[in-house]
Amino acid sequence: MAVVDDASLIRESFGLLMPGLDVVAAVATVEELTRRRPVVDAVLLDLHLANLEQPDVRQGIAAIRALTSRGYRVCTYSQEERRFVLAACIAAGASGVVAKALPTGRAERLLIEVASGGTAVPQSVVGILEVLVRRNCITLLSERQRQILYGRARGLSYGQIAKQLFVSESTLRGYWLDLTRSLSDSLRSLTPSEIERALGLAPGDLLELWPEEATDAKDWWRVDTGK
Amino acid sequence: MSGRKGLWRVAGLPTTKAGVERAFSYFIAGVRLGTVAQMVPAVHIGVATSPYGVAYLASWAAAACAAVVVSVVTLVRRRPLGAAGSAADFALACFLLLLGSVLLEPGERLGTWVAYQPAYALSVIITDGGVRSRTLWAGGLLGVIVCYAVYLGGDARGDTTATAIGNVLTFVVYALVVRMFFGFTRRIAHDADASRARAAELARREEERRAQVMMHNGVALMRLLTEPGTDASRSRLIDQAEVELQRMRSYLRGQAPDRDGTTAYGAAGANLTVAFAAMIERVCDRFADLHVDALLDLGADLRLPATQAEALQRALESLLLNVRAHARADTVVVHLDQGTDGSWTLTVRDDGVGFDPASVTAGVGLREVVMGELRRRGLRVEIESAPNEGTTVTISSGSAPAAARATLDASTDAV
Repeated sequence: MAVVDDASLIRESFGLLMPGLDVVAAVATVEELTRRRPVVDAVLLDLHLANLEQPDVRQGIAAIRALTSRGYRVCTYSQEERRFVLAACIAAGASGVVAKALPTGRAERLLIEVASGGTAVPQSVVGILEVLVRRNCITLLSERQRQILYGRARGLSYGQIAKQLFVSESTLRGYWLDLTRSLSDSLRSLTPSEIERALGLAPGDLLELWPEEATDAKDWWRVDTGK
Repeated sequence: MSGRKGLWRVAGLPTTKAGVERAFSYFIAGVRLGTVAQMVPAVHIGVATSPYGVAYLASWAAAACAAVVVSVVTLVRRRPLGAAGSAADFALACFLLLLGSVLLEPGERLGTWVAYQPAYALSVIITDGGVRSRTLWAGGLLGVIVCYAVYLGGDARGDTTATAIGNVLTFVVYALVVRMFFGFTRRIAHDADASRARAAELARREEERRAQVMMHNGVALMRLLTEPGTDASRSRLIDQAEVELQRMRSYLRGQAPDRDGTTAYGAAGANLTVAFAAMIERVCDRFADLHVDALLDLGADLRLPATQAEALQRALESLLLNVRAHARADTVVVHLDQGTDGSWTLTVRDDGVGFDPASVTAGVGLREVVMGELRRRGLRVEIESAPNEGTTVTISSGSAPAAARATLDASTDAV
């Protein structure tokens, strides 16, 4: 796993605090990581990378896009809690979104899951996805997918949902992985106005948060809150 | 004065066992004194026509005195005669009938008030119909009938036989009817007393439950306040404690907690509605330390009656207090879902230590503040939990069971 975080203490201590992770690269910028091009299962990415020493570096959605376009699986690791920003990260291609506020052990489990090919979608984003499905912004063809999303949106564990659907937990995790990929793809195809309409937001509420295809500037990210 | 007047008013008597027995005493006195009044006009004729005028007068006086004594005794006792009194009453009636066969001429024994003995015997049958002992009652009735037959003796000739049989039937029928009247009225009084006692017990339990509901969250908060914590967490707890304090004050003042204006929605009144999602959000904000994920978009437009919202707020607070105190949960999800038909479901899920519902008795919070209060308002509440698998509480409106179930089968309807 590679770590991209502007705080040197955090990026250097990952290997020590999370022994289950094999950190092969720990860098301060996405640009440096893409230059070194390490072979890793996933990149752990802090969303906010610009500071006085590196004011112009790529961060946020632009950083996610830069990494996913080079074939990396990305898991963000940030203090960001705004649900639409987190949803935007998933829409931009992140496989996981893990909050820095989580206990270390739980964060480590989620990071390993993403590195193993799984996903880590925060509850608030699952809620947004459920609303978009319910309001026909995203179409789910499979009845089973609907059932899984229904359970996950209510916070049920894989074990509980698997028991109710009479499938094994590993099978259900597979379903959930397929579902989150499908939902992320669908989310990416939506425009901010479509999402605003579905969620009952005011026009323009998402304009500055949502990654439209044309917006790839490295400084679009608003850093006035969240860190 | 009015109290003394009220004492004699049958309509004012309580519908208790004691009240019914008192009404019986009025009835008995009325029948017995009424019979004496009917006997009075013919007494002088009886004295004149009887072969033993003095003895006739003495027997008449004995009957009249007995009637008065029975009336007075029942009025004073405030209930009918006991077994001994009734036995003596029946015995006197029988004796007077037997004596009548000697004191009256054969032609005088039927159809006149000179022959007061059968009418007197009937009044005894009617007024002693309420004696508790069935044997005594049946024996007394049988004795009167036998004595009546002796009393008639040779006087029951052809044309009077039918009248005599009719009189015997009158004894029997009245005895049965009056016996039923006494018995059924006593049963009604007994049931009324039992119902009142039950209602009082239910009222006591309801008051106890109200007190438990009102105090529970406050007690839980006070317990949390006694535990060590940061200034920020204590500040949050103190804010919540002030809300609970207002509720408890309202309760102690005897005011309904959701009508006095001291709570979040009290001023809104019973007819107004509350934005449910906003209310949930405010509660979740007060439990910021639990990092609650509040997913409320699907029910953003839902409005509920203020009183129902108040109960739901208390229930949600109680659930989150439980999570804070016992669950040791990493995540808490509060999910609100409204169906197209207006039904709604609120799911509160934590991934904490859980419990075994079969072996753990629910505390006041779950049992009364959540299940009791909400079910009383027509809401459905389901609790699913298992050790180390967290707890899921599903609260839903009663109108759409499909939407209320937290099972995944419901997703077809809901999604």
